[in-house]
Amino acid sequence: MNDNIRVNWQKLLLRILLYFVVAVICVVILYPYFVMLCTALKSRAEIFSINGTVLPLNALWSNFVDIWKKAPMAQYMLNSIIIAGGSTAIAMVCGIPAAYALARMKFKGQTAFLGFIIVSQMFAPVVLLIGIYKVMQVMNLTNSLLGLIFINAAFNQAFTIWLLRGTFMSISAEMEQAATIDGCNRIQAMMKILLPVAAPGIVTTLIFIFINAWNEYTVALCLISTDTIKPLTVGINIFNGYNMIEWQYLFAASIFAIIPVVILFMSIEKNLTAGLTAGGVKG
Amino acid sequence: MKKNSPKKAPKNSLARTIEPYIWIAPSVILMAIFIVIPIGYVFYMSVSEISKAGLVKGFAGLENFSKVLGSSKFSLVLKNTVVWTIMVVVLSTVLGFILALLLNNKFKGRKIARAIVVFPWATTLVIQASAWKFIIDTDYGALNTLLKSLGIIGANVNWTPTPEAFFAWEIACGIFVTIPFVCFTALSGLQSIDSSYYEAATVDGATYFQQLFNITLPLVKPSLTVATVLNIIYVFNSFPIVWTITKGDPASRTDTLVTYLYKLAFYNGKQGEAAAVSVIGFLILLVCASVYMVSTLKKGDE
Repeated sequence: MNDNIRVNWQKLLLRILLYFVVAVICVVILYPYFVMLCTALKSRAEIFSINGTVLPLNALWSNFVDIWKKAPMAQYMLNSIIIAGGSTAIAMVCGIPAAYALARMKFKGQTAFLGFIIVSQMFAPVVLLIGIYKVMQVMNLTNSLLGLIFINAAFNQAFTIWLLRGTFMSISAEMEQAATIDGCNRIQAMMKILLPVAAPGIVTTLIFIFINAWNEYTVALCLISTDTIKPLTVGINIFNGYNMIEWQYLFAASIFAIIPVVILFMSIEKNLTAGLTAGGVKG
Repeated sequence: MKKNSPKKAPKNSLARTIEPYIWIAPSVILMAIFIVIPIGYVFYMSVSEISKAGLVKGFAGLENFSKVLGSSKFSLVLKNTVVWTIMVVVLSTVLGFILALLLNNKFKGRKIARAIVVFPWATTLVIQASAWKFIIDTDYGALNTLLKSLGIIGANVNWTPTPEAFFAWEIACGIFVTIPFVCFTALSGLQSIDSSYYEAATVDGATYFQQLFNITLPLVKPSLTVATVLNIIYVFNSFPIVWTITKGDPASRTDTLVTYLYKLAFYNGKQGEAAAVSVIGFLILLVCASVYMVSTLKKGDE
């Protein structure tokens, strides 16, 4: 009897401790976002005042409106959508057939190709910027959206193929084989039978690539100099001047850049992590 | 292992041999143009003499390398990069794993907690870093404002008295944004563990920590290894955090290899030396990765 009560007390204490620790961690994680929101609602004078307060004295929601006038925000956002959308499309169009071949066919150089995909991960675009810049010059793609789209698509190939190959391999090939016997060719079998079954994995990959391209900063910073074709990540630095930083505008604009991605990311988080580790263990 | 293709339909078998290569062709071409050629060009530039305008003037042998390795800044930058990579990867792995253990319990609000942990992963690094730059500012930073209004401190504290302190904050920011990735990969590993292991262990009287080290860790190890290898590569090559907060200044005391080479290439017009730094960075990563690959290949043989 006494023992039972003690165990229950212990359980309750552990429970409370768990809630407490998780709550503290969540507060810490959300803190930068809280700061961004509060700062985005302050006036410039209030941000730099000596007796600053945590919360804005009177919330200046107009900052969220002003940024669209102070900077070509709509243009930046459109550019980000074009870059992320275009990169995703090219990455998928190239990646799906490659992942299909790796999952369903046997060919010479298969291991070498997989090995190259892993090695290619070791080269972040930033390390190759000089080389990328040269290629862009030769192809006349410097300072263009198309150039950025190709770079993003190429550097996301590894992930695309990795994730999709795992997805395809987890699906039995029997149905496709049956369809081939019925007279379908490979492309039809893949399009009609494999892809619909693999849809969750494909959507996860697609969103992941989209987010990666949306968040890309370094290559865009280096390649794009014309203001009207900058993506959000680079464009919002218009508020980050050499002499003074307009924190309220920078953070208001940042919030617009963060929200769509966070929502998208939440939708795929479970499938994505499962896919990453599964591909890794099998690969 | 070679498959003998039937000889009666030679045309068909030729098509079959070629077919997989057609399927992978778009991907190969894309990566060849935008990854392989740049890699080749960086290696080529690293052994070339380059004019300030970026034109190759001739073969320079290992001169770029000797210039880089001879510069007094380089050893500092290399040391920073090693400290940065090890601190961020090790601490975010430990903390991310602990967070995964916490989130692996069933409790009310777990879904919300998971959703919150997604935030730093989804946010672009340049924005996350800007927020931290604002938080730690001495004169008007959010951290000082918060601590003052809570009555913990009376006057503003200078959180970044030295470049090393700035670098420590950059590391903290790096850990902060890396934890979610580790946490979620560990979590997907944890959730695939059969609960009967723990039931059996509890019956046998194993303590929590015995279970943790003898059951949980070995079973989560594959997921954690993948996460760690990817993290080593990403963190080593990570540019936005350091660039946003300090740009590697003052005098390279907060530079890592990537910010250093960016400045060499695009600020100082020393593209040959920048290419040499790229190659050195790649070689370091290659050694780390081959250690990993050899160890996993060995595992596969067992």
